[in-house]
Amino acid sequence: MKELRAARLYLFGAPIWDWLGLLPFLAFVLLFLVIPSANLFAGAFVNRTGVFTLENIVVFGNPFVLRSYLVSLQVSLVTALVGGVFGFLVAYAITLGRAPGWMRGVIMTFSGLAANFGGVPLAFAFIATLGRTGFLTALLKGICFPAGESEVCPFNPYDYGFNLYSVTGLVMTYTYFQFPLMVLIITPALEGLRTEWREACESLGGSQLHYWRDVAFPVMMPSLLGAMLLLFSNAFGAYATAQALTGGSIPLVTILIGQQIRGDVLNNPHEGYALALGMVVVMALTVWGYAVLQRRTTEWLRR
Amino acid sequence: MAQVTLPTQRRRSWRFWAIFWGVAAMLYFFVPLYGTLDFSLRMKRGEISLLAYEIVFADPRFWEGFRYSAIMALVTIVVSALIFVPTVYWMHLKLPQARPVVELVTILPFIIPGVVYVFGLIRTYSRPPLQLTLQPFTTDILIVAGYVVLSMPYMFRAVDVGMRSIDVRTLTEAAQSLGASRLQLLVQVILPNIRVAVLGGGLICFATVMGELVLASFLVRPALGPYMQLLGLAKAYEPAALAIISFALTWLSLGALQLLGRGNVPQQMAGR
Amino acid sequence: MAYLELKHVRKVFGETVAVEDFTLDIQQGEFVSFLGSSGCGKTTTLRMIAGFELPTSGTITLNGRDVTFTPPNRRNVGMVFQSYALFPNMTVAQNVGYGLRVAGKPKAEIDQRVREMLALIQMEKFAARYPSQLSGGQQQRVALARALAIRPQVLLLDEPLSALDAKIRVELRQEIRRIQQELRITAIYVTHDQEEALSLSDRVVVMSQGRIEQVGTPTEIYNNPASEFVARFIGHINLLPVHLVSVSADHLSVRFGSCMLRVVQPEFSPNGAAPMLAIRPETIRLGTGSDQDNRLVGRVESVTYLGAVIRLQVHVEGHSLSVDVLNERTLSLPRQGEDCPLHFSPRACWLMPSANT
Repeated sequence: MKELRAARLYLFGAPIWDWLGLLPFLAFVLLFLVIPSANLFAGAFVNRTGVFTLENIVVFGNPFVLRSYLVSLQVSLVTALVGGVFGFLVAYAITLGRAPGWMRGVIMTFSGLAANFGGVPLAFAFIATLGRTGFLTALLKGICFPAGESEVCPFNPYDYGFNLYSVTGLVMTYTYFQFPLMVLIITPALEGLRTEWREACESLGGSQLHYWRDVAFPVMMPSLLGAMLLLFSNAFGAYATAQALTGGSIPLVTILIGQQIRGDVLNNPHEGYALALGMVVVMALTVWGYAVLQRRTTEWLRR
Repeated sequence: MAQVTLPTQRRRSWRFWAIFWGVAAMLYFFVPLYGTLDFSLRMKRGEISLLAYEIVFADPRFWEGFRYSAIMALVTIVVSALIFVPTVYWMHLKLPQARPVVELVTILPFIIPGVVYVFGLIRTYSRPPLQLTLQPFTTDILIVAGYVVLSMPYMFRAVDVGMRSIDVRTLTEAAQSLGASRLQLLVQVILPNIRVAVLGGGLICFATVMGELVLASFLVRPALGPYMQLLGLAKAYEPAALAIISFALTWLSLGALQLLGRGNVPQQMAGR
Repeated sequence: MAYLELKHVRKVFGETVAVEDFTLDIQQGEFVSFLGSSGCGKTTTLRMIAGFELPTSGTITLNGRDVTFTPPNRRNVGMVFQSYALFPNMTVAQNVGYGLRVAGKPKAEIDQRVREMLALIQMEKFAARYPSQLSGGQQQRVALARALAIRPQVLLLDEPLSALDAKIRVELRQEIRRIQQELRITAIYVTHDQEEALSLSDRVVVMSQGRIEQVGTPTEIYNNPASEFVARFIGHINLLPVHLVSVSADHLSVRFGSCMLRVVQPEFSPNGAAPMLAIRPETIRLGTGSDQDNRLVGRVESVTYLGAVIRLQVHVEGHSLSVDVLNERTLSLPRQGEDCPLHFSPRACWLMPSANT
């Protein structure tokens, strides 16, 4: 039978016939990923009458939109950084830091869980813990000292400008899944650091600083960069947690897009497409930056 | 033998910091959980009760949402497996050069924010020529398609890892020499051998779909995510109970995953 | 005063004693091997010299300076690891120059030294490569150059060849010796491979269970093992239970089964215990020999062709004796089951105390 289809046209070194095996997958992707994305893309560059235009870009001149991008970027960067640093320290503690073995087991298991615990329930958990009537708030509020005739309750966080339904609260909430994600990614990288490298560095006269600066960090760079990318995109695209936590009062881009889907708050669907496309552009730029950095820092890996 | 011995004092302070950060991490894990649990049990003033849970479990909309999301999750898993098992098998057997393309495509849902994707999906299929949002059934088709896309990174990776762990070529040749057809080969030889991997991918699909909010909410289907969100707007104690239930659900599906012997729990990202 | 001195060094890990009462003097420019099976404490001792482990007790003096508790990065010792341990993110040249870079040397000096070092290991062409692009043998040569670039006071090598193929191993071993002689550097070489230890070293330290069994030149170790352990550990040896019958001015007479054998061993002092007669297989010859020789007759149990050497197992007086014969093209060998006469010189064998007494 095989000889019969011997027309044998090749595409990238495989018979055309073989490429047909990917058809169901590619058709699905075309239908439910490519076309919707392309539609959005195209929608951003036409006006209401379907004529090509660049005028939808004015949406980025809208102070609400601009502010939402700034807040989204700020939240994403801050949570990626906070979660990244915290996660790194925790991963270091349970690997090279030699924290007790049971601690390592607990943290690894919970990291797997917490990294997957997001969305609405996570928001509920933080409201129940740090909301105005939350468990921890009540606990802290309860620590009071008599001061003359009145009482001083020095630990009520809401007296000091803390508000869970703010950017700070959002950062704290996101950190719940951000830092475990970091732990999951970085732990293997830390374990991949060979003891001999440190010893070799030491015997050559290097200090701890030398070792981390010249060997450990460069070797872990691919994992670190990948982790930061994942953490950033994780926070940048997050919607449900923020929506459930603040009911949309924090102007994130995702929240704004949600409002646009529901009720065309911009009064122009095409500006909505441009708004969404902006997010893709930000992500694309981020991935591009990641790729450039990756290339620059991992020359030794690719040869 | 392989560890660097440092002067004792330095080593002790290191260990102190290791324990410090370890404890900090555990506090971050447990305090919100404990706080939520505590809160969820205080619906009756002055006593510990399961009232909030009773109310949730007595709410038919909860069960409707649970049922709907669970069914959607199962359909999603089946559809995902139907798409990815043959595709990845074919890629391993005949088209290794297609790997970069497939990998790039399957990672796209990581790069395109969920809301943006759903936006595109809804805008595309809520108008002619292919208007799927008119009837509940066709809307469900759209939802499942969306879920398949959102869980694509995990399902592809899971099946790919499973396929990599078996010798696809040899198994194929052995089965063919015994006279098996392609379908028999896939169903009777390949699938049983990557069963664990597919199940693992399925469990993550399940966790993703059960917590998903955006798609179901904008397509106005009675899923668990929108129900939880609505409850959160109106009530105080029930959401805490729901958070605990939802955490238990995550725990169960990921615990099952770890029982399957796959130490690494991949990350879910949809549904945030 | 010796260049490197270890005095009563002891190392305990929890409950296990890894090294016990290790005392050794090493001269400048000497090549010393620590030889022993895994877990004998040889690597731990080396790591204490490098500073990666601190002794539980005892002192280590290097070039007149007590370095027992000096951190590794202030000891100026070069270390070569079994797993090469090249920094994967640095090129060959960067690896070799790293120690000088850390020391803050000017760039020109570093470049100069790197060139010298690469010339020494004949790898100038590979300067810009990354470790992952090199073979194992090449990586280990670079690691050697890296350790030498800092002009260390002593070069420590921890089983540097055991991850390599047999052929490369022999090549690189000669290269290590050549470089060591060229630079006249003091070197300590840890290995479990006796051939390596014997072929490379000025002196060999045989270790077992954390203790030194014997220290000596390769010849001493091989020809005059101090204990049954060393005798059995180094090379192949026949140990036969014998009874001491008489001691005369120029020889000892012993009985082995029904045979009387003579042993020329002036330094032997009988201590009453039943001794063992030690004979290396290669000193036993086929045939009847002369009247001066000890003579035995046995039945051939097996003949094993090993290439350069043919090993016979011969059953003599209830014991199996190994006999090595040099392979010659015209050699006619006895067959399995045949009786065969053997002889060996009274000077080729010696008595040693039995271990189990």
